[in-house]
This record gives sequence, C-alpha cells and structure tokens, in this order.
Amino acid sequence: MEVSQIIQNLLNGLAIGSVYAIFALGYTLVFSILGIINFAHGAVFTLGAYFTYTLVVGQFENNGLLKGINLFPNGSPLSGNPWVFALATLIGAVLAGLVAVLIERLAFRPMRARGADPLLALVSSLGVALVIVNLIQLLVGAEIYNFPSDAYGQVQPALSFHVGERVVIIRTVQVIIFAVSLVMLAVLGYVIGRTKVGKALRAVAENPGTASLLGISVDRFILITFFLSGFLGGLAGTLVGTAFGVAGPYFGVTYGLKGLAVIVLGGLGSIPGAVVGGLVIGLAEAFVPSQYSAYKDAVAFALLFVILLVRPQGLLGRAQIQKV
Amino acid sequence: MKRIALTVALGLITSAQAQKVQTPIPIGVALAQTSNTALLGQEQVIGARLAEKFINARGGINGTPIKLIFQDAAGDENSAINAFQNLITKSAVVGIVGPTLSQQAFAADPIAERAKVPVLGPSNTAKGIPQIGNFIARVSAPVAVVAPNAVKQALKLDSKIKKVAVLYAQNDAFSTSETGTFQETAKAQGLDVVTVQKFQTTDTDFTTQVTSVLNSDADLVIISGLAADGGNLVKQLRQLGYKGLIIGGNGLNTSNIFPVCQKYCDGVIIAQAYSPAQASAANQLFVKEYRAQYKKDPPQFAAQAYAGVQVMTDALRAIDRRKKLSQWDLDDLRVELNRQILAGKYNTPLGELRFDKEGEILQKEFYVAQIKMKDAKNGSFVYLK
Repeated sequence: MEVSQIIQNLLNGLAIGSVYAIFALGYTLVFSILGIINFAHGAVFTLGAYFTYTLVVGQFENNGLLKGINLFPNGSPLSGNPWVFALATLIGAVLAGLVAVLIERLAFRPMRARGADPLLALVSSLGVALVIVNLIQLLVGAEIYNFPSDAYGQVQPALSFHVGERVVIIRTVQVIIFAVSLVMLAVLGYVIGRTKVGKALRAVAENPGTASLLGISVDRFILITFFLSGFLGGLAGTLVGTAFGVAGPYFGVTYGLKGLAVIVLGGLGSIPGAVVGGLVIGLAEAFVPSQYSAYKDAVAFALLFVILLVRPQGLLGRAQIQKV
Repeated sequence: MKRIALTVALGLITSAQAQKVQTPIPIGVALAQTSNTALLGQEQVIGARLAEKFINARGGINGTPIKLIFQDAAGDENSAINAFQNLITKSAVVGIVGPTLSQQAFAADPIAERAKVPVLGPSNTAKGIPQIGNFIARVSAPVAVVAPNAVKQALKLDSKIKKVAVLYAQNDAFSTSETGTFQETAKAQGLDVVTVQKFQTTDTDFTTQVTSVLNSDADLVIISGLAADGGNLVKQLRQLGYKGLIIGGNGLNTSNIFPVCQKYCDGVIIAQAYSPAQASAANQLFVKEYRAQYKKDPPQFAAQAYAGVQVMTDALRAIDRRKKLSQWDLDDLRVELNRQILAGKYNTPLGELRFDKEGEILQKEFYVAQIKMKDAKNGSFVYLK
C-alpha cells in the first residue's frame, strides 16, 4: 500500500470512526445509568436524520402516507447556507433527544417501576425500535432521501494535498463529521466531568439508591441521560445522512449493531472506551484491503471477537470483581 | 374414517381442478414496493398500472377487463416467494409479472414453475433466468446484450481510455452477473482491468473502494449495483476527485438516481433497453400517457413492466378468440397462456418483441444514454448515437 493510500485511509477511518464514537456514546450513557442496552438507539439515529431532512427540505415525494406533502413550497427557512443547516441539524438532534425521553417514559420506566428483569427492558426497547422503523416506512416510504448537495456549502473537496505524486483528498463532509464529533466529545467530557449535572449523573450511575438518599432525583437524571443519548444518536444520524444519504427506515440498523460492537470493544459503560472503540472500528474498516471491502462489517466484528478473547472487559473497561 | 378422509381429499382435488378463471381476469404483479429496491420497483408499478388503465380503456380482452393484483415483493428473496405464493394460491392469477431483481427471480420463479404459472420477468437481466423453467420468460434484455454497448460508447467519447476500474455489489446476483459481462467486454476491447472492487447494496460509505480506484489511475469506472448504492458511489467518486468517465449498469438505469448523486450524476453513461424516442405507435402512446401524468419521460423500468402486462394481455386475447377465457379451467389456461406467450409477436413500447423457445426475449433495438443534470434534483437521459 502506498503512503498516500495509507494517509487517505487513515483520514477516512478517523472521520467515520468519530461518528461511530458519538453514536456509541449514546449507548454508553444509558448503559452506565441503567445497566441495559437501549436497542431503540439505532432507530433514534434514523429519526435524527429524518427530522433534519424535514426541517431542511420538507418534501416527501416517495411512497408513504406523507407522499406529496411539501412543508415549504417557497423553500425551507432552515436551508440555504451551512450555518442555517447547522441550526437545523441541532434542532433535529434535539427532537431525537425528545423521542429518546419519550421512549424512556413508555418503554423503560414502567418496567423499572415494577422491578422487572433488565432483559425485559431490552426486549421492550427492541420492540420500540421496530415500531419506530415501521412508522417511518408507513409515513415517508422505504426510499432514500437526500440532503441538498450544497448543504455544507460549495467548497468541495475541502482539503487536498500531495503525498509524492499522489493527491490525498478529504470530503468537506468528512472534515465536518470529524470536527463536530470532536466538539461533541469535548462538551460531553466537560459536562460529565466538571459540572453539577455530570456529578449527579455519575452518582446515579454509581448507585441510584445512595444518589436518591443524597437528594438527587434519579428519575429526572435518567431522563436527562436519555435526552443526551438521543441527542447524540440523532446528531450522528444527520451527519451520516448528509455524507451518504438517508438510506431508508432501516438506515440505523447496521449502525446500531456497529455501535454495540464499539461499546463492547471499548469497554461497557466507559466513555473514553466508546471513543477509542469507535475510532478503532472506523480505522479497521478503512484499512480492510479494498478487494475485501464488501466484508468490512464482518471484519469489524471479527476484530471485536479477537480483542474480547484477549481482554474480555474491552479496551478501556474495568474487569468485574466478584465479591464472595 | 379412512373412507371419509378419502372422500374429502378427492372432493378437494376435484374442486381444485374445477377452478374456473375469474373475471375481471386477474394478472399477478409481484414487484418491489418497499425496501431499497423500491427505487426501481415503484417505477415498475407505475408502468404496470398505466398498462392496466390503457388496456381496460380499450375494451380489455375482447370485452373482458383485466385486474392487476399487486403483491409487494420488496427487495429480498423471502418477500418475493411469499408474493408469488399468495398470487398463485389466494388470488388465483393467470400469470405473474415480476419480481424486480434477478436475485429474487432465482428464488421465487421455481415456485411458479412448480405450479405451472407463466412468469414474465420485467427486469431480471442476469444470465440463466429463462432457463429456470418452461414457464419463465422475460421482457428484459439480458445484460450480455445491453452492457457491451456502453463500453463501446465510452471508447467513442474518449479513445485514450486504457485502464478500467470495475466495482460491483457482491450480494446481488444481477450485479455479479453484469460485472462479468462488463469485464469480458472491457478485455475484448483491449482495455486493462486494473482493479475490481466489491461492495454491498446496503453499503453507504464507499471511501475505501474510491481510494483504491483513485490509486489505480483508472480512466474509466464501471459500476454494477442498484440505484441507491450505485448513486452514492458515483457521488463519492466525484467528491473524492475522480474525473474520468463512469459507466453505470442496469441497476443505475433509473431517474431515481438523480436525487441520490445529484449534480455528480452528470455524464454517467448507461446502456438501455428502452428509449422514449422509440418510434413505434405503441411507445408513443405510452410516452404520451406517462408524460401527461408524471411530467417527465418514462424510464426503462416502467416501460418494461408495461410491456410485461401488455404481452400477457395480448396472449390472453389470442386465446380468448379461440375459446372464451371464462370457459377455461384455471390450470389449463395457465399452461395455454405460457404456450401462447412464447408463440406470439408483440408491439410494445420496447419495440417489436418475440421470445425464443426458452423464454428469452428477442428484442431489436438498444440505446446508450448519458445523464445530463439540469439542477441538483432533475436530469434526463440524453441518447447517444
């Protein structure tokens, strides 16, 4: 492999890996607090992309109940330049966060109130995911929706430089995905590590009973966790959607599975682990030899399997200590 | 007890044998209304509906109307099998137009073959489709006939082309079949296939493949995939700096790729089995109806589905002249319909069609088009001579 190709793959891997990381952080947050995997996270990812699409384009031409609807006959006020598009992305992510809150109220809280087995909550979240995906299909059809090609402005490609005789090119959208992911990770790291909300979240994650005795409203912080999780998932959905198109209602399924691989690889419940896991899987996929690139999903899971054999707690996870 | 069971069984067999043909005449249509294949399937549904409307407005089959029974075959094999089973057993159709993908045809057509129900594949262009059985034919010209035209046209546009990169969806039977034809054609034209890349129809991120194509210094890229993945691949090739010609296979042969690759679709060459400019009266009527309703030229997939319904109806009309369709037993009519489909000659929007004894289409005219985008979403296929 030539040096230029190595650099190109490295940059491609970092871009997609960073979006895996912010998506997987949503999983991790919920797992840290409730100790369960929210299988509806992939569906929230898909919703985030559809919400932003609705705000930016607002036209549903394909085969669903909303067929023929045009919310903005004179053009969307949230379209036209990259900054307005960023605002639409943010609103889309907030809406996805609110859906995640709704999911907590409908699918998780009733189970928790009855002291149900965590496995039941997991199945319940799987059910919610299927309902969301089918609702999307019913409303807007199964077809692909695409953001306007100038959503991020006309600067394309964003970055190119020579390595020897070859040119390495990075798409605008890749740079934006990477930059937004870094900002989100920094903000989240600050919120969790330095603020009162973060301290309360960590206390609830450590021991909900004790946190409650300390005057922390556990239910409220669980809702905050779900909102943050949905926000990150929805944001990741829009970022991937703008890079590759919103590939139908099942758009989030593959990402949902990959997000699972990321958090297990990084270490369940570990925030830095989700980041490292995302980057490792993104880079592993980018470096799959091109003649085998159709099998890159399998490669990601094979890597996970190998690492778990060597380090069952994941790359940055803590080994479970069994007290007898 | 045994006697009762035997009586019931015999009764069931007798009643099954005695099943008459319903009116209006039910024709099954099993196409992809959902899944990522719906990008193609929706166009076919439109084509089939137009044919139904047109045929019934002109008296149906010698006065008896036809009724299309739609089943969603989605984009996978199981859905296609279910759709075929429902159409054959529940809806008692006389024949089926479908499914959308060759991959699905290999799974679902044997069901129809066993039930002796004639099938017309409207977009099954992979090698070996008519050979699935005696009751399987297609109105879609095989890729081996259509694809070489695109390569020859690319060489006409740029005679300096020497190196070719080939990309194909390895989880789709049609795409793997088509890429074989493209690679053979490229070699036969003296071109050097410098890299062969695989992807999946469900993939969205093609940066790994595109990086390899750019490093191979290819000056022609040939893609075999479906509209969603193929369109995305075109977009990423252009965004990452590929400047040479691109040939798209039959899966990209739809105006539905315009909103996927948007302005980056511009210049993509696609070989086609249909042109709205085809001069026959049948086509001009079809184009007029389509334009009136959808304000654009009809795509190939709509034309082929239309042709499928029309061929089936024309064959039924010929049978009806000899003996009224309502007097036939369903099973006998299905066998006779299959025989008549293969025997007839049809003037469809694809031009004049016939079939060989295996059910392979014998079509006279083919075209090569280049995509010209008007703006980010709207474009057209400009036919090259």
